[in-house]
Amino acid sequence: MEDYKFLFKVVLVGNAGVGKTCLVRRFTQGLFPPGQGATIGVDFMIKTVEVDGEKVKLQIWDTAGQERFRSITQSYYRSAHALILVYDISCQPTFDCLPDWLREIEEYANNKVLRILVGNKTDREDREIPRHIGEDFAQRHGMYFLETSAKEAENVERLFMEIAVDLMEQAKCKELPKYDGSLGPLNGKTTSVNDSSCCLRS
Amino acid sequence: MPLKISLLTKIMTSFIDLLTTLSITLCGPGCCGCCSALRPRYKRLVDNIFPASPQDGLVKSNMEKLTFYSLSSPEKLDRIGEYLFQKASRDIYRRRHGFVIIAMEAMDQLLVACHSQTLNLFVESFLKMVQKLLESTDPQLQILATQSFVRFANIEEDTPSYHRRYDFFVSKFSAMCHSNHSDKDTREKIRLAGIQGLQGVIRKTVSDDLVENIWEAQHMDKIVPSLLYNMQTAEKYETVSCMETDTRDGMEDDPPRLAEACLRELVGRASFGHIRSVLRPVLTHFDRHELWVPNDFAVHTFKIIMFSIQAQYSYSVVESLLRHLDAGAGTRVRAARAAVLSNIVAFAAGDSVGPSVLEIINNLLTNLRASVARDSEKESDEKLYQDALINALGEFADHLPDFQKIDIMMFIVSKIPNQRGKATKADFRLQSILLKSLLKVGTTYKTTELSKAFPAAFLDALLRLSSAGEAGTRALLQRILHTLLDRRGNAPALAVPTVDYAELGLIVEKCSRPDLIFISKHGYAIFSSLYDGLQLESNTTENISAIYTTLALLCVELASEETVCDMLQLILSIQQSALSNPVLSVSQQCALHAVALALAALVPHVLVLPRLADYVAQIIEARREEAPHLLPPLLEDYDLSPSKMPNKLPYLMIDQMALGECLKANGVEARLQPAAPYAGSALAHRHSWVEAGAAQGRDSLADISAGPNTELDSANSSPGVQRHAGAGGESVSLEALRRAAGGPSDAERREAERRRATLNDTFRTAPFDHLLAITQPKYEIKEKLEEIFNSLSEEPLLGAGIGGSPAGKPTPCAKYFPELFLY
Ligand SMILES: Nc1nc2c(ncn2[C@@H]2O[C@H](COP(=O)(O)OP(=O)(O)O)[C@@H](O)[C@H]2O)c(=O)[nH]1
Ligand SMILES: [Mg+2]
Repeated sequence: MEDYKFLFKVVLVGNAGVGKTCLVRRFTQGLFPPGQGATIGVDFMIKTVEVDGEKVKLQIWDTAGQERFRSITQSYYRSAHALILVYDISCQPTFDCLPDWLREIEEYANNKVLRILVGNKTDREDREIPRHIGEDFAQRHGMYFLETSAKEAENVERLFMEIAVDLMEQAKCKELPKYDGSLGPLNGKTTSVNDSSCCLRS
Repeated sequence: MPLKISLLTKIMTSFIDLLTTLSITLCGPGCCGCCSALRPRYKRLVDNIFPASPQDGLVKSNMEKLTFYSLSSPEKLDRIGEYLFQKASRDIYRRRHGFVIIAMEAMDQLLVACHSQTLNLFVESFLKMVQKLLESTDPQLQILATQSFVRFANIEEDTPSYHRRYDFFVSKFSAMCHSNHSDKDTREKIRLAGIQGLQGVIRKTVSDDLVENIWEAQHMDKIVPSLLYNMQTAEKYETVSCMETDTRDGMEDDPPRLAEACLRELVGRASFGHIRSVLRPVLTHFDRHELWVPNDFAVHTFKIIMFSIQAQYSYSVVESLLRHLDAGAGTRVRAARAAVLSNIVAFAAGDSVGPSVLEIINNLLTNLRASVARDSEKESDEKLYQDALINALGEFADHLPDFQKIDIMMFIVSKIPNQRGKATKADFRLQSILLKSLLKVGTTYKTTELSKAFPAAFLDALLRLSSAGEAGTRALLQRILHTLLDRRGNAPALAVPTVDYAELGLIVEKCSRPDLIFISKHGYAIFSSLYDGLQLESNTTENISAIYTTLALLCVELASEETVCDMLQLILSIQQSALSNPVLSVSQQCALHAVALALAALVPHVLVLPRLADYVAQIIEARREEAPHLLPPLLEDYDLSPSKMPNKLPYLMIDQMALGECLKANGVEARLQPAAPYAGSALAHRHSWVEAGAAQGRDSLADISAGPNTELDSANSSPGVQRHAGAGGESVSLEALRRAAGGPSDAERREAERRRATLNDTFRTAPFDHLLAITQPKYEIKEKLEEIFNSLSEEPLLGAGIGGSPAGKPTPCAKYFPELFLY
């Protein structure tokens, strides 16, 4: 239904194969997709959740991890309200790449963007990155931290809900950064198509 | 019950008309049952368009009513739109997609029916609806939404909606362009829809800058890579200058082709300020997707850009690519980029104006210079890059008018590092690279008049280079001269010295008046520079051959009795130098003799001089018998017995007197100077008349340029004799000054001594009757012998001749070149 009060854009980034698409599918469709192909460019999903009795619409942009799509994916960072940076706890290289990702985020995203570090695949036995290492990294870089399993649906709901809550608080305090220059009238009546901003809707 | 409701409605609303009554009367089970009477009329009208079962499709008659109502009460349009949207949202949520499709169809119809003034009221909900459908995960709805969007995009709105934003659409359509749907067919359809959607956004926004600025980076960074990504998946790239019209309306069902059409449209609509916004993501895309090597797709894409860009901006594509040439990439990528450049640069040439032309050239040269300076580990790759740049230069120049080519060549020449002083290896490399560029441009130039091909400053620069630099560089320079001189395609036939011209099929025409003026002005400078070029110790066979070709071309191009004396004079000087220049190796000497004779054989081939032809044929015959090493072809190495050394065979030489006789016999009056070498101070004589000629209004030159009345074949205007007389030895060539200042080295002097001794020896020991036999009977042997004896008695010092005599006071030529008088 369309009577949401807030619209937030969430972008997922991180190496290919860490489980971004699975996280999104788990959250939006409640399933763990079997053997889907790697994301190309950008994928889009939507989900409306309720926070404090108010409807919040999350626009989720799931990006391809591969180097070659970097230029198009970067173009989606800019209007993001929240960026979820994902690594695979059972795969050291995906963790080692985090500084590179941060550099990209630094360069292309709004500096007030909400940043969340996610260590995915906690269900796996062969963990390579201890929880506290991820936590430390997140803390050092001013990010929220959460470990998830898209497979076991662990912390996935919580991840997106916390983002929604956080962003809504920001929005209510009118702290939420205004993206894309023109925000359009906040009363939303004449600009119902406008989704470029936080879209506090009346 | 419907009847009852309709009555109720009648009571409640006083303004109901018959039509509505009917409509409500006919209202089927589809309109949601309860309390519809209490609902606003527009809602009822909307409800009525939905059938009971979605398979039945839109209820057409009711749709007509709704449309009629909207047209008569446009103030209700926004509510109708909003209501339709809400219904559809609910249906999407309940996955009743059939009804969603009907709602969308209704909105489409209303949109089309709306008058443009009232459209605005409706568009907001229409777009919300489209967005809603695009947010669904159902491909069918996404595609449907896109079609509606495209329909909307094609409507012209009177008053653009400034606050309306399209970034969701750009983002979503771009995502669709990258669809990864597991079903191939669906995937294609979604991608196609994505491209159509982008095309719609572009059309909607591009024409009006006040609406969302589509050219902003945030949009272009999505649109451009999305199009390119689809284009690159084509099975093969067919580059055509213009696509057929059916692709222009999104009817194309093949994503690569539609993406291409869309890119063309985008590029075609870009104004100057926007070109870069398109090009930047293009370049980034090629970098990211590593599409430079191999570069077929890049060439395809950039050609398409060039085909579709507004012509006056095509230059900026070249410029962007130029600037991107060495942006963060290895040499192979750079080379590939440069190759792309050379593929498109021609398009820009036609529409480039002066400053931008030179800017492009300068930019290319700067890149070349940077490449030369770069100490690349992979030299072969770097060379590929340089070649590609040079190719680009050539391609570009090829499409410029000829006068600009000359400008460019002069510009390139001006960039060639000065060879004086210590030249580093990099200098040499740069020199060679720039000469290659020059050659490339020169090859595209079509010479008509020599004076146009060789403006004085340009000629001067070329000639200065002709005896400088490394052997390879010098050969290159000659090739530049060849391409500029050779108007009749004779160069290949004259590539190496020969004495058999009959078979070559040379094309010879009589020298034109402007060319005669040109050569009378610059002939001396040209000849002496070529002569100097033949005197260098480092000359390879290639160098000598190349200079021969230049001279032979000059001979053919300037075929005229006016010039024949100069040519023969030069031939004698070359022969002379082969005997007297101490730095030349035996092979070089042989080569020069061969060249001299080859040229001598060419002269009677281009002019009707049968006597000369006979004479030369005799020498050739004699050499064939006795000294084939003094004939072409040039060899790298000659293994000669001492008796076969060139300086031991004076009777096989071309004789100055004999030449004079031959000319005279054919009615060409020419007093050839006894051995007029082009180097040394004797040169000062000739130099002065060239220099002074122009300044003092030399008779013959004045005659030639005076007008049609003056006959060119007048023997008096023949250069060579009178001109010599006029000017005296006041001015001295640079070369002579330089030599005078330096003087011959000790080694040179010693060598000269040695040679002189040998020559004298030869003369003394050669049997008189042998000499007699070889020289033609018509010659006055006695006179000759006298000359020879005189010269011998007058301290015939080569060394002194070159360096010792004070400038401005030339001693008699005979003194310096005793060898020529040995006959
Ligand atoms: N065990 C486990 N595997 C996962 C989890 N999430 C994703 N995967 C697997 O990781 C692979 C990559 O997932 P995907 O979502 O495509 O990664 P993306 O490239 O980041 O989008 C797939 O084979 C998934 O099945 C998880 O939470 N646990
Ligand atoms: Mg993915």
